[in-house]
Amino acid sequence: MRLLLLGAVTLAIPPLLPERHLATFVLFALTATVTVGVSLLMGYAGQVSLGQAAFYAIGAYAAGLLAVHGAPPVLGLLLAPVVAAVAAVLLGAPLLRLRGHHLAFATLAVQLILLSVLASADWAGGAIGLQGIPRLVGDDLGYAYAAIVVLTLAVLVSRNVIASRPGRALRAAATSEIAAAASGVPVGRHRLAVFALSAAMAGLAGGVYAFYLGYLSPGSFPVLLSIEFVVMAVVGGLGTVAGPVVGAGVIIVLVQLLNTLGTQPGMPGYAPSVLSYAVYAIVLITCVLYLPRGLVPALRRLRIPSRAG
Amino acid sequence: MRLVVEGASRAFGGVWAVRDVSLTVEPGELRAVIGPNGAGKSTLFALIGGQLAADHGRVRFDGDPVERLPAHRRARRGVSVVFQAARVFHGMTVLENVMVGAHATTRSGFLAAALRLPAHRRDEREIRTAAMVCLERTGLADWAGRAAEELPLGRQRSLQLARALCARPRLLLLDEPASGLRAAERERLAGLITGLRAEGLTILLVEHDVAFVMRLADRVTVLDLGRVIAEGTPAEVRARPEVVAAYLGPS
Repeated sequence: MRLLLLGAVTLAIPPLLPERHLATFVLFALTATVTVGVSLLMGYAGQVSLGQAAFYAIGAYAAGLLAVHGAPPVLGLLLAPVVAAVAAVLLGAPLLRLRGHHLAFATLAVQLILLSVLASADWAGGAIGLQGIPRLVGDDLGYAYAAIVVLTLAVLVSRNVIASRPGRALRAAATSEIAAAASGVPVGRHRLAVFALSAAMAGLAGGVYAFYLGYLSPGSFPVLLSIEFVVMAVVGGLGTVAGPVVGAGVIIVLVQLLNTLGTQPGMPGYAPSVLSYAVYAIVLITCVLYLPRGLVPALRRLRIPSRAG
Repeated sequence: MRLVVEGASRAFGGVWAVRDVSLTVEPGELRAVIGPNGAGKSTLFALIGGQLAADHGRVRFDGDPVERLPAHRRARRGVSVVFQAARVFHGMTVLENVMVGAHATTRSGFLAAALRLPAHRRDEREIRTAAMVCLERTGLADWAGRAAEELPLGRQRSLQLARALCARPRLLLLDEPASGLRAAERERLAGLITGLRAEGLTILLVEHDVAFVMRLADRVTVLDLGRVIAEGTPAEVRARPEVVAAYLGPS
């Protein structure tokens, strides 16, 4: 019932938004989709990826390249998550042997390598970018609905997996690999699977992104974007299904507000970029200090007062 | 399950923790492994469960060599372990913790879970029912919805046992399950182990507390400095002078 209501409200939002906010909404839904995957990886499997934008880029370029070479856009969109997941499996097999900070830095390195490869690859448009990607749907409203579908899919899959046999196995392995293995959990294989699943979510969002913008360049996928996903997941609340969506929403709205503020007359030219960089730092520090478990768990505790423990 | 260990050895930094240990546990037997601190009990336990690999020697489950298999594959062969430290999974309820125990005996994977396929729903129902039975059995049914890390230590140990039983094991390995328990908890544990033994489960019980195992075990293996120094019924072992010496120190 609550879910139906939430769905109805979400579907009613896009037509009510003015044109310029519609673009923000599409960006929000796509970013939230990637963040759902990051949150699954961090909150439930205990793995940190600082290179999730790489899979977003892989999905986007896969869809974009296919479409540019004449494949139907829908085919590109369907293959985007598959290509991203395959890339994650190939990279993850060696990377997931690494633990904690090592894995985070390794994924960051993977993204940097990917960006420099893309920038020098003529077949992908090089540093100038891949242009002339056909449209998937007619107008921005159509993209808003496509983005909602993609986000809903990611949330449902994430919710289903968490409460399932493999999901419990992952959560168990996050506390004790030894005890999980003793219960019959192939820890490495499960971690690789969830890494691929999170990459597939990023790839799917990337596919929509490619058709929405119609133009891709390595500059669209900076390292800051990967960090953004992590900040959103942490601010929203790791270990919750709604957390990444709330986190993405709050941060995107904040960045937009600061951007508006920064472009007011009388503001120096560097104001927008300084303000938007600063927001990550301030939000993350505030969150870690005052809401270490994130927004969603904090809000829940307000509603259900003082459970012991 | 018939458990055979043949000449198993394991060294740490050039020191033998377990050296050329052989033992056979018959199906349905309750075997205790005792010894003073540093005798190699926990290392032997890990060599059987697969948490450590042996440097030499064999481990056989029902005749099949398993010493090269990782722990999760051995779990699928029917071995369940209860660790000495209460290794419960945080951020999960007591019921969910026990449900993880059924991992070795079920199959449905990520795809079935993501799409909520019928096979997955059936698995989930069966796992939940099995886990509730194990919670009843270990006296934890009232705690099912609580966060596992909130349980008192004694209950966390029971939780580990419930998780091990949820895998429907054919060989149960217990590493010092009675340590740190209060008298009443210890009695309840002894009753539970006796019940499992009566059902025909093969049990290997590693224990520092000699009094606790002497009344439970069919046979006792005594380790000292990584070697087997005695084996027999509790009464036989108690009468052996080398066992007395190992526990009281050379006189």
